[in-house]
Amino acid sequence: MTSVFDRTGSVRALAVLRMVLGAVTVVHLAPFLRDARNGIHYDDHFWEPYWSGIPKLPGEVWAVLLWVGVASAVLMACGILTRLTTSVTFLVVAGNLLVSQTHFRHNRTFLTILLFGLALLPTGRVLSVDAWWRRLRGRPALPDQALLWPLYLLRTQVSLVYLASGISKLVDPDWLGGIVLWDRVVRYQYHLEPTPLPDWGIDFLTWRPLYLLVAPAAIAIELFVGLGLWSARTRLAALWLGIVFHLSIEVSASVEVFSLAAIGALAIWVTPSTRDRVLRLPAGSPVAVVVRALDWFGRFRIEPEPGPGDAGFTVVDRDGSVLSGREAVGVVLTRLPLTFPFAAPVVAVGALRAPRTPVAAAVRTP
Amino acid sequence: MAVVVVQVGFALNGYREPHKFFAFQPFNESSTWSAEIVRVTWDDERIPVEERWGDGAYSWDTLVDMAALRHPERLRHAYMGVGATVDFLDDALDWVATHTPADHQTRYLEADVTYYENTRGPQHTTLRSVERERERGPA
Repeated sequence: MTSVFDRTGSVRALAVLRMVLGAVTVVHLAPFLRDARNGIHYDDHFWEPYWSGIPKLPGEVWAVLLWVGVASAVLMACGILTRLTTSVTFLVVAGNLLVSQTHFRHNRTFLTILLFGLALLPTGRVLSVDAWWRRLRGRPALPDQALLWPLYLLRTQVSLVYLASGISKLVDPDWLGGIVLWDRVVRYQYHLEPTPLPDWGIDFLTWRPLYLLVAPAAIAIELFVGLGLWSARTRLAALWLGIVFHLSIEVSASVEVFSLAAIGALAIWVTPSTRDRVLRLPAGSPVAVVVRALDWFGRFRIEPEPGPGDAGFTVVDRDGSVLSGREAVGVVLTRLPLTFPFAAPVVAVGALRAPRTPVAAAVRTP
Repeated sequence: MAVVVVQVGFALNGYREPHKFFAFQPFNESSTWSAEIVRVTWDDERIPVEERWGDGAYSWDTLVDMAALRHPERLRHAYMGVGATVDFLDDALDWVATHTPADHQTRYLEADVTYYENTRGPQHTTLRSVERERERGPA
């Protein structure tokens, strides 16, 4: 337990999450802000406090705090006074969630939890105006290493979210038997009718027996994501399924900012170390520019090939194994966030057909 | 460890409490509901809330301003779950009864709720707001 609290690692992936959540927070607060701009405060219509004894926040103060929250979220995304602005963003989003029971939504709670976790971490040390300003003043860059216990806290909490949701459906016979999902699809069938889906496709999607399979599969995916993210062996599969799961929720239900926040939150499962894989490319290769631009999590250290007789595109993995050709391309594409969703299934199928064959295992990365 | 205990506590509480606050149990139902909501006046008239009242100052949809409770006269998907919807409706009746000072007619509001829980039903329940104080002087 002590080692968990003492462990340090890179906060770079969390800095990417910080930028995503800045944008997500602005989108989340926008409808409230629209009301506030029209002079409508939360207490001008039906609202209900969580506890009857707590003092009531005046509507005018609530409106001002929304502006503070939006400004703070923008600054947080840019990495300006990052620790302070992340904390203020968290407080405003949490305050708006807790001001009335009518503001409660699971997705808003999820966003609040993520902001709380980020507020505990120095994510402004990298990918931030704070870091850039520090360099500009000639001061040495702060290391992107930090104590990781808030990251483990976030991982635990996010994992519990998937498990709580999956287990609640698993123990509900209506959910497990498919009634809930099937009835939803039938109820919102009118959304399908204007789409290019053929009639037989709509009939298939509203076919009751289909949900005897779909509902247990959806529950299994949710539980697998909640558990599979913890193991290095299953993490890539769980991440990919998580993305597919959230995209399918986005197209089938109204979940406000949940999909974007949840897909962004998958960044917390990135191994908290940077540049610990080496990508060797021919000198001047345009691939280096592309990889540098897409390597948001800092997975690769790009080096020129040591000699003319080398394979042309090689990756030295964390364990020291040297990969080339298709396998090297696979490793790169599955470690870049934008290419991961497309590359992961292709690489997985390729790996099943031909097990990994490292060129050599002589080079060990530091 | 405290975080785990608190989150598990909320998750377990979600099996008991209709709103499932912080329990992360989304999309838990595909229930539907509708309600006939009336204002019962001091003269025992029953006036549907679809009609504006208080000299046109009040409408149900504007007063509640909550997507889940708007247009209660139509059969609607209870996207928060039918338990949470009925509980909010109960609180909303009280809120409307106590936040409409220009209304000099209404004694209380009443909602006759019909709901189907995951296609099973119909089931009925009747909710009533707190009773408003009768104003003295000319109505």
